[in-house]
Amino acid sequence: MEQTQSGFLNNLAQFWEYTGFANCNIQYLLMICIGLVFIYLAIKKDWEPMLLVPIGFGIIIGNIPLMPGLNVGVYEEGSVLNILYQGVRQGWYPPLIFLGIGAMTDFSALISNPKLLLIGAAAQFGIFGAYAISLALGFTPAEAGAIGIIGGADGPTAIFLSSRLAPDLMGAIAVSAYSYMALVPVIQPPIMRLLTTNKERLIRMKPPRAVSPTEKKIFPIVGFLLTAFIVPSGIPLLGMLFFGNLIKESGVTRRLAETARGPLIDVITILIGITVGCSTQADKFLQWSSIKIFILGFLSFIIATTTGVLFVKFFNLFLKEGNKINPLIGNAGVSAVPDSARISNNVGLEYDRTNYLLMHAMGPNVAGVIGSAVAAGILLGFLS
Amino acid sequence: MKQIKSLLIAGLVLMGINLSAQNQSDMRLNEYLVYNTDDFQDDFGQQNAWFELFNVSYGTVNIGGCYLSNDINNLQKYIIPKGDVLTSIKPRQHVLFWADNQPYRGTFHTNFTLAESDTIYFVSSDGRTIIDRIAIQKDIEPNLSYGRTQDGIGSVDGNGEGWQFMSRTSPSTNNAVLEAKSKSAVMAELDPNGGLMALTAMSVVFLALIILFFVFKTIGKLATRNQQHKSDVATEGKITTVKAEENTGEAIAAISTALYLYAVDNEAHDEESFQITMKHTDRSYSPWSSKIYTLRQNPQVKKN
Repeated sequence: MEQTQSGFLNNLAQFWEYTGFANCNIQYLLMICIGLVFIYLAIKKDWEPMLLVPIGFGIIIGNIPLMPGLNVGVYEEGSVLNILYQGVRQGWYPPLIFLGIGAMTDFSALISNPKLLLIGAAAQFGIFGAYAISLALGFTPAEAGAIGIIGGADGPTAIFLSSRLAPDLMGAIAVSAYSYMALVPVIQPPIMRLLTTNKERLIRMKPPRAVSPTEKKIFPIVGFLLTAFIVPSGIPLLGMLFFGNLIKESGVTRRLAETARGPLIDVITILIGITVGCSTQADKFLQWSSIKIFILGFLSFIIATTTGVLFVKFFNLFLKEGNKINPLIGNAGVSAVPDSARISNNVGLEYDRTNYLLMHAMGPNVAGVIGSAVAAGILLGFLS
Repeated sequence: MKQIKSLLIAGLVLMGINLSAQNQSDMRLNEYLVYNTDDFQDDFGQQNAWFELFNVSYGTVNIGGCYLSNDINNLQKYIIPKGDVLTSIKPRQHVLFWADNQPYRGTFHTNFTLAESDTIYFVSSDGRTIIDRIAIQKDIEPNLSYGRTQDGIGSVDGNGEGWQFMSRTSPSTNNAVLEAKSKSAVMAELDPNGGLMALTAMSVVFLALIILFFVFKTIGKLATRNQQHKSDVATEGKITTVKAEENTGEAIAAISTALYLYAVDNEAHDEESFQITMKHTDRSYSPWSSKIYTLRQNPQVKKN
């Protein structure tokens, strides 16, 4: 009887060692709280719920304290989470997301007014500004490149680049990129108001001309050829983006386009969100470098917004009256589609209830997607 | 139709065969040593002549089924066995063969030896196509190897262009010492502040998008001209085409939404023409302009 009792207690003690309670420490609890905050912001504040709910829950999953060797953790080779994580680690989720983005993006605003492309280029200063500051803070050029891309406001691109340049920092970079994308409505408007005059905010832009279906079909083919020849290292992202757009605009592959912009992108978004969240395991995530990355990400967003708005003001010096661009669309050069374009519209409406800037802002917004993919290709070419 | 299908399938099969051959064609003879008295030993502790192949591509190449020979009249002298996992050569990797005439010792031991008058041939799996060859140097010293200065770079016709006597033998490894520093480390030295990178990268981003800008500006002009031409043709008839610029944005949005909803509900067309045609109607009454539908009803006063 005594032996049975002792065996039972031993089993319980052994079982206790396997539980999360026995392996828990303050770091794991802190990360779980961060995950809960993400979920709260998504559900209560409606901040990027499609991203923050999976990432938030992923953070909770990834920070359940485990006894190593159970082969369930995201960093344990062969575990289910590890297999799903390979899409992030090897960088093949981001191009699939780009395929979906291409299939859901209408480039008409850009085609009808191609000079808006240049705003998308100007906003990429955020990437290289953050790159320079990261170097000053002691990061290596490869790490600085991966951190700088947060300024492109493009989660998939940030994951793609960091998986190649700085895999150890990928969790922090991805969470930072997605967090700031969710915070675009908070970060950008004050900068836009600060840098523009009342007169500039009231500029009315000419309505975009109608774009023919032929032009829409030509755009992805020519766009891909030109950008890919200049930056071949950006092919995975640019190829998928423009291919997605071609199946949308071709008019003969409706089912493919619907799959790419619907079920496929949804599946990948779920997988990318949950696995990026899981990768923020406390022992790998809670480090000084992560805090620095969050600060740098914030700075890169500020620089990108500032340079976008200032570039429009500079550009206006060379444009005739009537052709001028409202600088409130300068912020949309970052590729947070369509959030930053929506912000341009909302801020514009605050000053003129009848001045709708949404369609105009979509031009630099989609140009930003192309620009950030090109910038990622350049960084990859120089640093990998 | 059947013939076209057959031709297509045949073409695809041929392409497949060709691709496989192309894959094997990424292999190069890279280094050899004829007189081995005090150099590298094989797994049996013996020193024999050896030669090395190198995969120049960034994909894995399976050399199982290919041939090695030192005789132009017998290119199929030694077949590299199929089904050995070690014959899948990883990207930019080397594989070493022992020319010891002892093939029973394993996949990488050939059934011939090397002599000064020989030429080494690497032959495709078809048994005819010579992928690479190298003539062995005369008066070669013991334990001195002859190889490509840079792995995989140089001629494939056996004249020895790009080859040299090696200062040290390097079986199964790089012939030249590779750059020890990563690109990132080089960049840290060249551009510690990131200014150069920012300038270069932003120039490239702007260049790419400026080229796109000019291309689509031109395409846009052509499209507008084409549209104008069509519009002029339409005005010649009784129907009047109203230019979009004459309307306000709100009106265009309202009309477009109505047309879109109409098209979606009725599944009218797969593709719209994007031209709106409006006809004047002689009918004076229309429910759209009827006051009956726009006025609120008069309040009725109840009288008790």
